[in-house]
Amino acid sequence: MNKADPILTFEAVHKRYGSVMALDGVNLSIRRGEVVCLIGPSGSGKSTLLRCANALDVLDSGRIVFEGNEVRSSEATVRHVRRRMGMVFQNFELFPHLTVLRNVTIGPTTVLGMRRAAAEGRAMALLSKVGLSEKAAVYPSALSGGQQQRVAIARALAMEPALMLFDEPTSALDPETIGEVLSVMKVLADEGMTMLVVTHEMDFARRVADHVAVFDKGRVIEEGSPKEVFENAMVPRTRDFLSHLGWHGETTIPTAASTREVS
Amino acid sequence: MDVNLQPIIDSWPFLAKALGTTLYVSVASMVLGFMIGVAVGVLRTYGGRVLYVLLGFYVDTMRAIPLLVVLVWTFFAFPLLIGRSIDAVTAGIAGLGIHLGAYVAETIRAGLTSVRRNQMQAALALGMSRFQAIRTIILPQALVRMLPALGSLLVIAIKDSAIASVIAVPELLRQTQIVAGKTFRPFELYTAAMLVYFLLCYPVARAVDRLYRRVAHLGSS
Amino acid sequence: MNFQWSIVWESLPRLLDGAWMTVWLTFATMTLAIPGGLVLALMRLSPVTLISASATAFVEFFRATPLILQIYWIYYVLPAYFDVQLSQLGTALAGLACNIAAFNSETFRSGIVSIRRGQWNAGLALGMAPARVFVSIILPQATMRVLPALASTWVSLFKDTSLVSIISVAELSYVSLQIRAETYRILEVLTAMAALYWLMGYPQAKLVDWVHRRFKVAE
Ligand SMILES: Nc1ncnc2c1ncn2[C@@H]1O[C@H](COP(=O)(O)OP(=O)(O)OP(=O)(O)O)[C@@H](O)[C@H]1O
Ligand SMILES: [Mg+2]
Repeated sequence: MNKADPILTFEAVHKRYGSVMALDGVNLSIRRGEVVCLIGPSGSGKSTLLRCANALDVLDSGRIVFEGNEVRSSEATVRHVRRRMGMVFQNFELFPHLTVLRNVTIGPTTVLGMRRAAAEGRAMALLSKVGLSEKAAVYPSALSGGQQQRVAIARALAMEPALMLFDEPTSALDPETIGEVLSVMKVLADEGMTMLVVTHEMDFARRVADHVAVFDKGRVIEEGSPKEVFENAMVPRTRDFLSHLGWHGETTIPTAASTREVS
Repeated sequence: MDVNLQPIIDSWPFLAKALGTTLYVSVASMVLGFMIGVAVGVLRTYGGRVLYVLLGFYVDTMRAIPLLVVLVWTFFAFPLLIGRSIDAVTAGIAGLGIHLGAYVAETIRAGLTSVRRNQMQAALALGMSRFQAIRTIILPQALVRMLPALGSLLVIAIKDSAIASVIAVPELLRQTQIVAGKTFRPFELYTAAMLVYFLLCYPVARAVDRLYRRVAHLGSS
Repeated sequence: MNFQWSIVWESLPRLLDGAWMTVWLTFATMTLAIPGGLVLALMRLSPVTLISASATAFVEFFRATPLILQIYWIYYVLPAYFDVQLSQLGTALAGLACNIAAFNSETFRSGIVSIRRGQWNAGLALGMAPARVFVSIILPQATMRVLPALASTWVSLFKDTSLVSIISVAELSYVSLQIRAETYRILEVLTAMAALYWLMGYPQAKLVDWVHRRFKVAE
């Protein structure tokens, strides 16, 4: 398997909701082992893109290809694709009627037909990886937001996915718990997990991403390495958006040039 | 006013058996109603337009017709249609269950639609089929949320079983009538029956409330 | 099997009389049970324990026992032991009204307590008198919350009127069962009875759904 193979590609993807063009010709590809961060203003279609990738929404036109299969081609590929892609939601979406442990095992047992005991072994390993093995027996309502999101990550990892999709995994969190989720994601990235991350955490994107794509009005308006995008944005709209988030790319503010030399 | 408890003491085994029948009929009709209600509720929520309308017709018909009419029709008229008689207990459970099923269905449907849409998406994203997602993720949450409503339906099932006395199901009210008629002590007998029903229904209602407070967090995504 | 549906047309005038009685009972009961329920609700909110406890006992009792038994009880027990002589219609109205008033009181009570304390304070802070706050701020909001539950109770009541057939009040069920006994056209007459109930009850059920949608409270 070539590391440079694209694992997921979007080709001229269009999607509209009524009169809203949520996706307006998206072309993007993610290679194996790569971390791609997707940034862009609210309502620009980032969540929609992730939902379409996972076949939770239907396209109007264009193609999404995952591991050589077109995502929407049949019910069987849809299930296959979803098994191979993990997804982490902004609001965690843990299953409130199941314990933390059961939240992590329910995918392997119901979908992969794994034995309960084997699934629990895998789940315990993942829970200790996200630092929550002592919470296995409690219900999600007893966890903080950051803890819930780490369980949600373990739940997705339990399916041993080839690609992880993250939809603003830290935007619903209190500032003090954002860090614990980001560091779990950093560990995953360092282990070579392929990740597509929608995020407003510019610091995370700059340090962890291999590739950054900027989204606006349903299309990719700029992409490149974090350095290119954050320090040398070519498109004015990108610079607007970055400064709106409080990110003053080193080249956009004259005095910032000296800051870069210091760091 | 003299109170004479002798008739109750004398016919105690007869009345105890009647209470047993009341319990049996209420529980059996609740089970039947629950099975009908879950099936109809799920199919109306996820089964598409045609099933929604067709099963909606069943639900609204049961909401429109009195239980007494359903029971009387099931016991007296339906056997003429199929050409063989049905015993009263079977007709009673069937009539009560079919009537109750409509209310359970509406409750289940309200519960299912109140679970956040994203829970379904999270389940599908794990690779579950729609059926698996409904069975393991959405329906359990809906049941927890609707526990108070389902509990009141159980109380209603117990109370409604008394209406089966009109088709001579030998349950508590029917047998109380018989003893009251024989002994000419309606006050003692009807009052005692009233107390028994109260002691049956009131604790059930309270117990469901308490259970719900303990498990409410399991249904709040 | 031979069925003789002509019996339905011949009996239609009597059946319609019964249906009229059913409707009349529904309206008459509700007319009594709305003020009754309001009084019970206010009694339950009273700071005097004796008042609130007796209202609570009344309500819980009527809610936790079968209406059909309540009707029997009033019919057989009141005249024989308490020297209260009610006509059959009087008994029917008393039983239905007590039962429905108990359910209404729960509706009213939850309507009143569901209005947040802040709404009272907001009204008082504007300099309104408490009575003014109740009439112009609390009552309209409570009405919105109460209407859907009242509508559901209305349909239950419409159906429950069939239970007074056991004490020979000539409403639709009683009349139908009489005609059945006179003619032995069991299937025809009972089906006609069910159809008449359906014709009256179905639009009411739809109306209830509309009221629920219309007055849905956005929390
Ligand atoms: N289910 C839906 N029905 C109708 N419109 C929708 C739906 N989902 C998204 N939209 C619309 O599509 C557009 C893109 O939405 P999307 O949620 O993908 O944006 P986003 O980039 O994820 O925004 P945010 O940063 O707020 O999460 C928005 O205008 C939104 O209102
Ligand atoms: Mg989004």
